[in-house]
Amino acid sequence: MHILGVYNIKGGVGKTATAVNLAHLAATEGYRTLIWDLDPQAAATYYFRIKPKVKGSNKRLIKGKLDLDEVVKATDFENLDMLPADFSYRNMDLRLEEAKNPTKQLLKLLRPLSQAYDYVFLDCPPSISLVSENIFRAAEGLLLPLIPTTLSLRTYQQLLDFLEGHRITGLELMPFFSMVDRRKRMHLDVMKNLPDEHGELLKAQIPYASDVEKMGIHRMPVQAFAPKSIAASCYQALWLEMQRRLG
Amino acid sequence: MALHPISYLLPDDFDLQQLKSSFKESHGLREEVPSKVKLTYYDSFDWRVWNAGGELHEEQGSLNRLCWHSIKGRKEPLVQVIDQSPGFAKDLPAGALADQLASVLEMRVLQPKVHVIQQQQTLALLDSEEKTVVRVVLEQNSYASIDGKQSGRLEGRIVLKPLKGYLSYFEKIVEYLKAMKLRNCGQSLYQDALQGAGIKPGDYSSKLNYRLDPYASADSAARQILLDLLNTLEANVAGTKADLDSEFLHDLRVATRRTRSAMSQIKGVFDPQQLEPFKRGFGWIGQVTGPTRDLDVYLLKYDQYRASLPEALQGDLDPFYSYLLNHHKTEQAKLVRKLNSPHFRKLLKTWREWLEESKVDLENAPSANKATAKLADKRISKLYARVLQDGLAIAPDSPAEMLHDLRKDCKKLRYMMEFFQSLYPKPAIRELIKALKVILDNLGEFQDLEVQAHSLEDFGSEMLKEGAPASALMAMGVLVGRLFERQANAREEFANLFAAFSSDGNQKAFRKLFGGA
Repeated sequence: MHILGVYNIKGGVGKTATAVNLAHLAATEGYRTLIWDLDPQAAATYYFRIKPKVKGSNKRLIKGKLDLDEVVKATDFENLDMLPADFSYRNMDLRLEEAKNPTKQLLKLLRPLSQAYDYVFLDCPPSISLVSENIFRAAEGLLLPLIPTTLSLRTYQQLLDFLEGHRITGLELMPFFSMVDRRKRMHLDVMKNLPDEHGELLKAQIPYASDVEKMGIHRMPVQAFAPKSIAASCYQALWLEMQRRLG
Repeated sequence: MALHPISYLLPDDFDLQQLKSSFKESHGLREEVPSKVKLTYYDSFDWRVWNAGGELHEEQGSLNRLCWHSIKGRKEPLVQVIDQSPGFAKDLPAGALADQLASVLEMRVLQPKVHVIQQQQTLALLDSEEKTVVRVVLEQNSYASIDGKQSGRLEGRIVLKPLKGYLSYFEKIVEYLKAMKLRNCGQSLYQDALQGAGIKPGDYSSKLNYRLDPYASADSAARQILLDLLNTLEANVAGTKADLDSEFLHDLRVATRRTRSAMSQIKGVFDPQQLEPFKRGFGWIGQVTGPTRDLDVYLLKYDQYRASLPEALQGDLDPFYSYLLNHHKTEQAKLVRKLNSPHFRKLLKTWREWLEESKVDLENAPSANKATAKLADKRISKLYARVLQDGLAIAPDSPAEMLHDLRKDCKKLRYMMEFFQSLYPKPAIRELIKALKVILDNLGEFQDLEVQAHSLEDFGSEMLKEGAPASALMAMGVLVGRLFERQANAREEFANLFAAFSSDGNQKAFRKLFGGA
């Protein structure tokens, strides 16, 4: 089972769209896939037309009184299941702090699912918190959408510092450019210079595209309503490159 | 909780429009694009997946997936993405499905059993968010045999597929279809397809399982046994020639051995003069199939051999593996020539003809008309007495030959008990066969380890001539030492095991079942 986090400290960078589209591509190819919406904003849950939970399961989850399997919902797509967002996730940090091994709870929860799924995508809440640290320790790799701006690069550096400071090693970092607007001078400049410093950067890029925004109207992954769009082929390229990177 | 689809038979006069409109009243409805799926079902020649309560199919799509469904126990299916058609379990990508198949199949290879083409039309029932909550799939299925010679349509099905997290919707639809009085499918799609292709699952087993009439003549029982063994032998010829897996040849040889044992141990039912050429013929089959089987055994044991060496020496053994593979190829080619020879074909043909013509010559076959049960009692009790006598005569310092002879007698006894087991109360005879097996395993180990050790020495001298490196020979030397050590252990265990086998309780049980002094 491959566990992958889609993460950025900053919000609004195309994180949820990435998690939703990659999970959908994995499922379309026949891999049994789970997407876990860990963000209380519940955007991924909304895209799959699933009603988010209002009353919390996170308390019972962390206390070990609830199996993840009990809260899993099938999506409309074969092989693709979802753990919908739960409004109580906003308090997850507090719950985690109470647990015995606060940085490894997520991994513990996911382990029993290892026979049921080939890929698990975690749509992570922005910010660095105990939840994100859990994600770093559970995941095999992190997909990091970066908007090509200087500010965005700063947050990436912050993440690298955090990982180093907390001795989190062996995590496959896969930053890639997201919401790319080729009309913007700054985007072009940043994209030209960054690859020299960061060999880990993926070649695939996701453009700023109205088809990605339309996911909210169609409430489904791009591939499902616009399979021939540029956005769809960009996510396809990202999916292929990610698989190659994971070996 | 594992959720499982429910399948109903689709009646010929089924009104799809009515179903759709009633779904539309209660839910949103989306009709998905009709799809076509090709499934190929797999099992080993001797139906190990089926016998383990499973069904295994490959689904062809953009990715090929191998799926194991448990019929018993209603467990979640095991799925594995594969990039080539499945064969041996060890060649599958690592995972839960590969583990499951390794323990079920052991050394056996998977073979396609039947194809199914599914034409599906899916109705998705939607909730207020237009999210699918139940799928209703109308299936038109057809089957095709693997050789493509047979194909045909199967009964249509309507399959309700639950979605995780939406169980209450599913339950409502189940109630609704129940009210429509649809009939549940009595068997799985796989069973339908096998039936269509005229294949009976479990139609081959190497186990002996005859239902004999205790009062029928002994000669007819013997013919029944021998004909069945001939069927088993013939069933394994094609797989042996193609070298699909090592078990075809193994089963062919076991059937040969049992045939020879039956010929010599079911005494007085056939004219010995007429039997003589067949005895020679089956002796010949045993002989010409031996070398390939020996090499099969070493190849099967190779990993175990390698692991038994100190880690530093394990790599040194690899030239031995190449040697085995090379020689296996040569011997297999020789074997195929023998199995293709007119001599082999004629032998099986005349043997069958001879068994099927039921001429009884009482002068030369005095026991032919005896009741089967009587003859079985007499032969088994006699063999048992011999085993007991020979076994008890073995002292700690007795020569190995005495144990080898005892093994031969034990085997004869076991075969006879197995041939005739249907004549005796099941639990009692099973118990005694089990007790005998313990001794046979010990004697087998004692002899096989010695044979293996000596063969390894022979292989070593051959390899030396073929220019193998000294390190390989030295690793083999260590291996030979290990084998002799284990053989000595088996020898030591014998006394206790035989004492248990020859206990008063067992002796009484044997006498009670088969009579005799």
